[in-house]
Amino acid sequence: MANPTDSRVPVTVLTGFLGSGKTTLLNRILTEQHGKRIAVIENEFGEVGVDQELVIGAEEEIFEMNNGCICCTVRGDLIRILGNLMKRKDRFDYILIETTGLADPGPVAQTFFMDDEIQSQLYLDAVVTVVDAHHVWQHLDDTPEVQEQIAFADVILLNKIDLVTPPDLDRLEARIRHMNSVARILRTECGDTPIANLLDVGGFRLDRALQVDARFLELEYPFEWAGVYHLEAGPHELVLQPGPDDPTMDVVLAPVSVASAAGIEEGLRTAEMAFAGRALAQVYDGTALEPRLALFRLPLTHAGRARRNGGSPEMAFPIAISQTGAYALFTEHHPSEFDLALEGPESCVYPVAEREFKPPHEHNDEVTSVGITTPGDLVVKRLNAWLSDLLRTKGPDIFRMKGVLSIQGEAERFVFQGVHMLFDGRPDRPWDDEPRRNSLVFIGRNLDRAALNAGFRDCLAAPAKVQP
Amino acid sequence: MRPKKPQLSLLWGADIGEHVIALAWSTGAPRLAAAAVGGPITLFELDGRVAGRLAGHDFGTAALAWRPGTPVLASAGQDGKIRLWDCAADGGRELLALAGGAAWVERLAWRPDGALLASAAGRKLRVWTPDGALVREFAAHASTIADIAWVTPAFIPAELRPAQPVLVAAAYGGITLWSPEQAEPLARFEWKGSSLVLAPSPDGRYIATGDQDASVHFWIVVDGHDLQMWGYPTKVRELSWDPTARYLATGGSSSVTVWDCGGAGPEGTRPKVLDWHTDTVSAVAFQQRSAGYQPALRDGTAQALLASGGLDARLALWRAEKSRKAPLAMAEMAAPVSQLVWSPDDTCLAAGDAAGSVQLYGVRD
Repeated sequence: MANPTDSRVPVTVLTGFLGSGKTTLLNRILTEQHGKRIAVIENEFGEVGVDQELVIGAEEEIFEMNNGCICCTVRGDLIRILGNLMKRKDRFDYILIETTGLADPGPVAQTFFMDDEIQSQLYLDAVVTVVDAHHVWQHLDDTPEVQEQIAFADVILLNKIDLVTPPDLDRLEARIRHMNSVARILRTECGDTPIANLLDVGGFRLDRALQVDARFLELEYPFEWAGVYHLEAGPHELVLQPGPDDPTMDVVLAPVSVASAAGIEEGLRTAEMAFAGRALAQVYDGTALEPRLALFRLPLTHAGRARRNGGSPEMAFPIAISQTGAYALFTEHHPSEFDLALEGPESCVYPVAEREFKPPHEHNDEVTSVGITTPGDLVVKRLNAWLSDLLRTKGPDIFRMKGVLSIQGEAERFVFQGVHMLFDGRPDRPWDDEPRRNSLVFIGRNLDRAALNAGFRDCLAAPAKVQP
Repeated sequence: MRPKKPQLSLLWGADIGEHVIALAWSTGAPRLAAAAVGGPITLFELDGRVAGRLAGHDFGTAALAWRPGTPVLASAGQDGKIRLWDCAADGGRELLALAGGAAWVERLAWRPDGALLASAAGRKLRVWTPDGALVREFAAHASTIADIAWVTPAFIPAELRPAQPVLVAAAYGGITLWSPEQAEPLARFEWKGSSLVLAPSPDGRYIATGDQDASVHFWIVVDGHDLQMWGYPTKVRELSWDPTARYLATGGSSSVTVWDCGGAGPEGTRPKVLDWHTDTVSAVAFQQRSAGYQPALRDGTAQALLASGGLDARLALWRAEKSRKAPLAMAEMAAPVSQLVWSPDDTCLAAGDAAGSVQLYGVRD
């Protein structure tokens, strides 16, 4: 739904490579009974009135500015045409801009943030990108325009799915998801999707900055693995074999309500909170661990014991389970590195479900999404310094960014979104009972996932201050 | 002699139904033509009576220009046409329709002697005779032409000096000077940016441009050097020279900014700032002193009044010689001011607004 306090007219930008089915989609939108008065700006077309709609031809004119700053690059043709449209008495409810197949969506989007006249009367609702599911493969690797159109999108239509096998389609969706982890991906034939999926999406709206499905964020967690177990009451042991040269291994063993994948999800937040408070980790001192919402530090220099069946010594840490039930174990390092096993009174216990959090190997996609989610409060000075440096040096490579931040000392959530170097952010509603955390995503070219994560984490206040 | 404080008094008002996109005074029998953004053109007598209604252009009218000293009005619009209207005929009659060369014809300029009409449509710049013969189409500009004007350069190298005013066009990438006599441009002043409007100084020394990147440029016609004035909060689309060519008034913010080109200026000088509007200034217009109406100031020189209008729907009168916090006279319209033009004798100020209101104010010193 449109924001009721905003009287500005929404604009949707429709992009897509040649032959993707963009024009078919546009015609579908125009002929559907949606009750909206829509103006369409098409490339190279005369001005034609179609019933309620108005179709105006535009020829792409990129205005770069003298200072060479990429974020100052706007579309002069759109400023002229939109400026004129907004003077008309019969105001439009909606404006659609169809770009050429080779258009860079950056200047189009920036026009709505860089030109005061446009910004005061119009807002960019979303970038909708149509992808030819059959032919896009050949362009994903080597056509920058196709990569940019996918990277900028709020909604991606995988079109012409009738020409592709389901496994190929899954493969394509996974690949596109890797490039843009926050766009809504819809599978269509002939662009056939309800119009509500395309209009009033709110892709650039701050109050929807984090309507991001966290499942799709390729997040960095401070642990590499989780498993959920059904454990009987009684003594257990966590047994590790000597592994890599890590001095310690942090683990969380949290009681959860179900021994299934849902139990891992349930324990995720607890585990993150516990890992964030590393300074408070309870170092193993010989007493049995008890499942609770705390971080245990297992010294890997712990004197090993001889293995029952010989071989090099193994390390065993006792665990006391007082109540039969489901428990989720989160481990800092991948258990396979230490041949980790959970042994019950009788025999080895195996996880009912497990999940790996190790960042996946990078595809060779130039365009990727980097998601960051972490509890903790940000020190605003550090955040400002990091962000301004990031945007100054990497701005041209960052197509979109959005997120919700927890700023130290502030009662409200801080929401932001941006295009290249343009940053738009403000305090939002109070956190109240909602746990404070940071969730953000960058979509761009040649993004350094590790550096972005490290830079962001350096902006966090000391964990001790998170949970005094 | 100390001038009395001028007054703005409303003489009449009319409604043309939609955003006033252009206002123009004929220099023959004084008549005001007003174009609505949707197309129709209304002709007003000095007393506010409607003298005629012209259909204008399908999809919208963009520009109006009276042929100097005649009852012929030229209009341009989004039907791709330039239309000439005989407004002496009862109610007005269409004489000609010419193809501008692109879907939207956005700018028109008569040479001051009325012998040639220039039109800009997209990248195409064409020059016509008053009876519709195409004199020349210049080589296409690199992008859509934003504005055009005729200028008589104060001085350019003698071998290039034309007998008549030359045509100047602003587009992305700078401004170009053309003579209808030749296909090649006389000069190209290049700059990586987008000029939105241009205003030659009345003495022909400067061509001022207002720019998308929130700056104003003064191009020195004689050598093509330019002075760049930065610091505006937004793009500048409002420019007006005073008739002595000393002051250039500009919009681009909620203040009227006036550059003084007297003495060493404007380079390195601080502009005068007229600060009163509460929203962006959307129109500025100096009296033109083209007729005999010239009250004397203390120093005996004629000092033209400056009118400003804003998105705050307010109108103000100023004298440009000092920074001020309050105007000499003020008035309020119902909607954001879109157009301001002085009558040829400088005694009346016509204003148009974004809701379609046209108002005529009498101005007395």
